[in-house]
Amino acid sequence: MKILEIKDVHKIYNSSEVQVHAINGVTLDFEKGEFAAIVGPSGSGKTTLMNMIGGLDSPTRGTITVDHTNLADLKSSRLIDFRMWNIGFVFQSYNLIPVLTAKENVEFIMNLQKWDKKDRDHRTFELLKAVGLKERAHSRPAKLSGGQQQRVAVARALASKPKFVLADEPTASLDTKSSENLLDIMEELNREEGITFIFSTHDQRVVKKARRVITLEDGKVISDERKKKNGSSS
Amino acid sequence: MIWKTAWKNVWRNKVRSLVVMISVTIGIFGGVFAVAIMNGAIEQRVDSALNNEISHIHINDPGFRDNYDIQLTIPGLEQIRGQLEETAQVEAVSPRIIISGMANTASRSAGVQILGIEPDLEKKVLNLHEKTIPGTGDFFETESRHNLAYIGEDLAKELNIIRYIIDEETLGKLRESDIPEQTLNKLSPYVGKRFHSEDEFEKEMKESLSRREQNEYGRLIREQAWSFSERSRMTLVFLDKDQMQTGAVFRIAGIYDIKNNMFEMSRVFVRKELLSRLTGLAENQVHQLVVRLNNMDQAKEVSSMLSENFPDLEVLSWKKIQPDLAYTTDLVQKFYSVFMIIILAALAFGIVNTMLMVVLERTKELGMLTAIGMNKKRVFSMIMLESVFLSLVGGVVGMIVSQVLILFTSTHGIRFSQFEEGFEAMGYSSHIYPDIDATFFITVTVLIIITGILSSIYPAVKALKLDPADALRTE
Repeated sequence: MKILEIKDVHKIYNSSEVQVHAINGVTLDFEKGEFAAIVGPSGSGKTTLMNMIGGLDSPTRGTITVDHTNLADLKSSRLIDFRMWNIGFVFQSYNLIPVLTAKENVEFIMNLQKWDKKDRDHRTFELLKAVGLKERAHSRPAKLSGGQQQRVAVARALASKPKFVLADEPTASLDTKSSENLLDIMEELNREEGITFIFSTHDQRVVKKARRVITLEDGKVISDERKKKNGSSS
Repeated sequence: MIWKTAWKNVWRNKVRSLVVMISVTIGIFGGVFAVAIMNGAIEQRVDSALNNEISHIHINDPGFRDNYDIQLTIPGLEQIRGQLEETAQVEAVSPRIIISGMANTASRSAGVQILGIEPDLEKKVLNLHEKTIPGTGDFFETESRHNLAYIGEDLAKELNIIRYIIDEETLGKLRESDIPEQTLNKLSPYVGKRFHSEDEFEKEMKESLSRREQNEYGRLIREQAWSFSERSRMTLVFLDKDQMQTGAVFRIAGIYDIKNNMFEMSRVFVRKELLSRLTGLAENQVHQLVVRLNNMDQAKEVSSMLSENFPDLEVLSWKKIQPDLAYTTDLVQKFYSVFMIIILAALAFGIVNTMLMVVLERTKELGMLTAIGMNKKRVFSMIMLESVFLSLVGGVVGMIVSQVLILFTSTHGIRFSQFEEGFEAMGYSSHIYPDIDATFFITVTVLIIITGILSSIYPAVKALKLDPADALRTE
């Protein structure tokens, strides 16, 4: 079942001196439950593509459809709501709300969505347990390590059961052990919850874990490899 | 969640938030306490005027107040008094004869208004009898064959009836009041000396005492040196009903002090029956009826009703008798809110500056919040709530501090001794008891909340204009 369709998307930046074709005719589909990585050198258009998929930017040409909804059809306020209900975000620098505890950060979106308290608490503690931080539920981000903060961010992204999670360089600020730990958790949640994960990354550990690797160069998809169960590519 | 997050965000930078809150506290405290002082002064003035000078309603002939013609007495007095006494809102009525005259002593004279009163009835409409300076007499109780007069302290000073004497007894009392021996030594050369006027006394004190001694002990020395002789007399001269000059010698049977120079200088009270006899007026001829009501707030309503009942007479409520008092009261009420708005407007700029810094510092976080689904309304609400909390916390603390100080000073008062003369010249006491009513606190609270909301608008709009993608790229 396709949850994300990107059709011939272009993004052109016009400055006074030069025209930059950041995304140059990208067409991709994503199924439910995918664990995909978008890789490429700096300037390849990864972040631009991720921003457009997340509705934070709009394509110059082409369409991006999430669960049959064309993002271009949504006005600004409806687009924000759409993101809240359908898309989860994991950022490179965690971006937790520093004045809230881990629990409060995770349940933040559920509060915006007006979840019932009982259900909200249940889901929050379930996720914190899944990311191994149930005992740190009442700690503020400043009291958590980088890896722990990123795990809280992952829990937050999954809290509202989005259609997919966009993770932009989630391991960039983490050490090796924390990165592996985080990836294992995300893989497990992907399997258990069936939520699609789309990574933008330079990290080979992420590439290794991903079951689909999309390579971008100069704004174009130059390869799109799905790994078979035995780890080989197709 | 937004409320909780906003409250926690306020304390993110404790020092900065506390600085803003303290500035709001100081501003609110300053404003509220200043208003309480002004309000207390005004209330005391109105209270003094109604209880010591004019009461609630005056009834007289329509032309009487133009030139105080002795012939313009109130017709049908007994019938009118009867009707007044049957009016439910009326507590008491006192008749008066009012004539203009001259008060003379051996050395000085002054133009005065002589009021012939019935002391027992006058005590029911005014509390002037409670303002008698102890030791000067008991005009309202004394039954005497002598002509008795009740005069103000300032008139007594003007006529040199009050003197200042420094003797051993005075020095002894000053010593008991812990005035330093050094200061008392400076007063010793004046022992046995009688100063015939306050000016003369003040002049000598200025020459002998240092400025600090005058400020610290001047009032006490003046009070102890103050002297009045029970044998003091003055002559009152005036025109009778036939425009013939007449008068009599009066013994001073009491001196009142109501901290109002103008009133004290001009009003002399004598017994009505004596003044009737001296002026040739009949016993039932009076110029004015002074009416006290059960409730002063009914003055306007009752005076309108009495005007209809007595169409041939002039019936005036206290606001018409002393319109300057009414204007001051009404004007100051409006002034209070304007005053607080100005203070809050000034404070608002500080809050706007703080909130702009908050938005700038949290650009990335605000971008993240928008990215994950916090809509513009919620972002705006969060910024606005932070601003309201900043101003409200400071405001509430400011109001608590001012209320505590008002409670303390409303009992002990604040003495503005340096400005005593100026205050009393305008009819105000220099010993002010600050006072404010609860509705003012409610008004200030509402104004504080509005300030918080208005201060948040510009910073919140700036936050809403952030592009989430650009904001997330911020370092």
